[in-house]
Amino acid sequence: MPQQQPQPSPSPKPKKKIRVPRVVNGVEQMVEIEVDADSGPGWGPNDKHTLLNHRLTRVDGPLKVAGAARYTYDQRLPGMLYGRILRCPHGHARITKLDTDAAAKIPGVKAIVPAPLTELRFAGAPVVAVAATTPEIAGDALRAIKVTYEVLPHVVHAHTAAQPDSPKVVAEENNLQEKAKNGDPAKVEAAFATADAIVEAEYITPRIHHACLETHGLVVDYRGGGSATIYASTQGTFTIPQDAAKELGLEQSAVESRVDHMGGGFGSKFGIGTEGMFACRLSKEAKAPVKLMLTRYDEFVMAGNRSGSWQKFKAGVKNDGTIVAMRARQYRLGGIGQGSQAGQPYIYRMGDTYREIYALHTNEDSAIAMRAPGHPQASFAVESLVDELAHKINMDPVEFRKKNLRDEVYHRQLDRGAKEIGWSRRNRVAGSGPEPLKRGLGCAVGTWGGGGNNQCKVDVTIGRDGSILVAVGTQDLGTGTRTFTRAIVAEELGLGMNDVKEQIGSSKLGSANPSGGSTTAASLSPSVKDASIKARLMMAERVAPLLGDAKPEEVVFANGKVSAKGQSLAWKQACASLPAAGITSHGEWRSDLQSRGIHGVCFAEVEVDVETGHVKPIKMVHVQDGGLPLNRLTLESQINGGMIQSLGMALWEGRVMDAQLGMQLNPGFGDYKLPGTLEMPELVPIIDDDDKREAVIGIAEGCIIPALGALVNAVFNATGLRIRELPITPDKILMGKPV
Amino acid sequence: MTKSRDGDEPKAQDHDPGRRRFLKGVGIAGAGTAIADHLWTEAEAKETQDGARRTVSGATKVTLQVNGQPRAVEVEPRTTLLNALRNHLEPAVTGPKLVCDMGTCGACTVLLEGKPVYSCLVLAVDAVGKQITTVEGLGSPEKPNAVQAAFVEHDALMCGFCTPGFVTTISAYLKKNPNPSLEEVREACKGNFCRCGTYPRVFEAALAAAKSSTPSSSPSQGGRN
Repeated sequence: MPQQQPQPSPSPKPKKKIRVPRVVNGVEQMVEIEVDADSGPGWGPNDKHTLLNHRLTRVDGPLKVAGAARYTYDQRLPGMLYGRILRCPHGHARITKLDTDAAAKIPGVKAIVPAPLTELRFAGAPVVAVAATTPEIAGDALRAIKVTYEVLPHVVHAHTAAQPDSPKVVAEENNLQEKAKNGDPAKVEAAFATADAIVEAEYITPRIHHACLETHGLVVDYRGGGSATIYASTQGTFTIPQDAAKELGLEQSAVESRVDHMGGGFGSKFGIGTEGMFACRLSKEAKAPVKLMLTRYDEFVMAGNRSGSWQKFKAGVKNDGTIVAMRARQYRLGGIGQGSQAGQPYIYRMGDTYREIYALHTNEDSAIAMRAPGHPQASFAVESLVDELAHKINMDPVEFRKKNLRDEVYHRQLDRGAKEIGWSRRNRVAGSGPEPLKRGLGCAVGTWGGGGNNQCKVDVTIGRDGSILVAVGTQDLGTGTRTFTRAIVAEELGLGMNDVKEQIGSSKLGSANPSGGSTTAASLSPSVKDASIKARLMMAERVAPLLGDAKPEEVVFANGKVSAKGQSLAWKQACASLPAAGITSHGEWRSDLQSRGIHGVCFAEVEVDVETGHVKPIKMVHVQDGGLPLNRLTLESQINGGMIQSLGMALWEGRVMDAQLGMQLNPGFGDYKLPGTLEMPELVPIIDDDDKREAVIGIAEGCIIPALGALVNAVFNATGLRIRELPITPDKILMGKPV
Repeated sequence: MTKSRDGDEPKAQDHDPGRRRFLKGVGIAGAGTAIADHLWTEAEAKETQDGARRTVSGATKVTLQVNGQPRAVEVEPRTTLLNALRNHLEPAVTGPKLVCDMGTCGACTVLLEGKPVYSCLVLAVDAVGKQITTVEGLGSPEKPNAVQAAFVEHDALMCGFCTPGFVTTISAYLKKNPNPSLEEVREACKGNFCRCGTYPRVFEAALAAAKSSTPSSSPSQGGRN
């Protein structure tokens, strides 16, 4: 693939020519290319890297395995207080009296801050927060607070909320809010008349919890002075200072946020949140540092969740496999919030289409972003629908998908996945295998963007002692950000992983984007690369005169040496020529070093015990493209993680609400079933190296999308039962009737 | 309608730490007398005699044996071992994580006399006189034990919040069964949850650690069973 040049800008930058390694007729040689004068070449071919696209163990691994990585939850400051939040036990209520006198008298209780709102629209809404000298005393304080409520009518089930006589979540407003209508319904009706077969179906997914092992929360280190430090469990270092400063009454520049390590976010941790508002106010009142980490119960009832979905379809297909029309009515179930759901027919071509999208409100906390917001819900529904259509006209589901997917990348990936899972083993007639343990295979596809944006500023400093520091304020969610940041610099300078140190996780360092939408890799890595190239060129200028008066562009950085004209210096020798303060380069984002648009397919094999209803996943294969894999080891780990989280949604997870009480019935790991070690199938993560794009693209979200459809379709292939509501619990198998 | 979040109606004078907290302790540990006997010589708290049971209340100084070191700490009878390690010991021991606080997830796993326990379900006073080994006592970033090294090598971690629990559980298990099958590894760590989805690589790491050698000598005393 030809080298991409930086995109033209209104005022063309000065250009220069540099020599870079290129494979010409199968032989690697140096060629001259033109680049921005202050910039450099691209990544080069994906198979020519010395560190990137290799299997790099993560650089913070040794700290994490030894318990030495310091998370927000691990912060303990002198004089620090522990915050807790009291929560509303009713689905909808108004506070008429709040009596905190007894709580205030408990020795050790240092601050009490009531919630700003007195009308509470969901069970779990915050009522009042306390700070005390120990977590135990903070708990005592909550128990000593007396709240008088006026209990109001509530509704927590979507089907009830859609009825005209349902209690209103917001007075004077309809629970059902129209959000979008796309397409021409008359054309769609006409197209249905041309179909050979019609499928009508409804699909439902429950609210899913992020279940970050480190709960939401932060430590506010404020003692009444003119500045503060906030340790936050967040996906956005730079999303913290502004709101915290406002709560504390400080200048934004006087507030530093720190995110050394964080224990999972999955889309749910941006900004200071309600808990941050309380922590700041408690700290301000007590004039002492306050740590407020949500309890696990809090985390379930108010820290957000993936919105539920309810989708109704009618679709028509011709006997040759062409889908001719689709009509969809989609409800986003986001509690008091708007929820999210990708529009149908998602990534398929379905001829004439018409869709209506609604938000349907209930008395539950607001849904918030969760890994690929709205996509797994849309994918589960449309992949089920596609499978039902294929079954209706008796066509192979893989061939049927190829027929209705324009993008050839899916075709190649479907072939690869089919081979890996052994697609020919599937039941030609669904449910035809021997009882009681019935096996079946299914597949599905997914997409995501994964492109970057122009927010990251990176500094690379090379010291006279040979040390190298790459600094940027970004955060590492466990996605391997530290590791690829270090690798990019080390590779550019021809060094090893241990020769570079990175500093991240502070709002006092160079700015960085929040880690949402799988944008971190594609936003950060171009800036790191840019800073690395500039540092190399600055070094080359310095060192060239020492290497037989070579030209700077002739200097080669490789294998720990700096060489030109047949002479070479060891790295440390070369650095000795630097000024006392060393050199620092500043990296900016380059759009040509990243791209967007990824493809993934998942295949699953399940075994269903039709006597107990138990579904056992046997094997899952996920094929994922994503341009240049920065680190194959951590990339495969992310693909595994996507499959496993999707598996949880398909088979076990889901919030259960009590209609009468308006409360969640499973707000803990004892009742909300997460995937565990005993349920793990064989997992096969496959990086699609046929993607030759020399560009970084984020994949974290893409790889959580298709497994839902693959699993539910595998259950169908095993049993002949079409399960249209997740999770696929045993009752649904036992009560199911073959379609 | 007047109702607290718990559904009962606490009164200010009900705030009697001694009675309530002690009963909570007995409820969880089921060994109230033993607790009191442990502490008797060190307790600075009020004493009462209630039939065969003696009540300890308020903050009490105890000594915990953490990673081979005697560590003095002031705890209440209701303080869990996990909270004592994380929030009361100075300096803190924060390898074991608080995640579910109800004995379901395993992130707080420590070894008590070499056996893995959920430290969120053990009272600190019940751990007095016992050898407590946390993940920090199994190895260090510079000198990891075989399980820790294999976790890094096989990328058996992502966010890393569950990792101390898994490392501790597996390190103890490999002492008991140095050559496990995949099924045995799954069974051994079924009490540990991971949300990022590292399970396959946790299994790989455990099997690799078993193969590489017996876990290297740890500075603390474990594995007595």
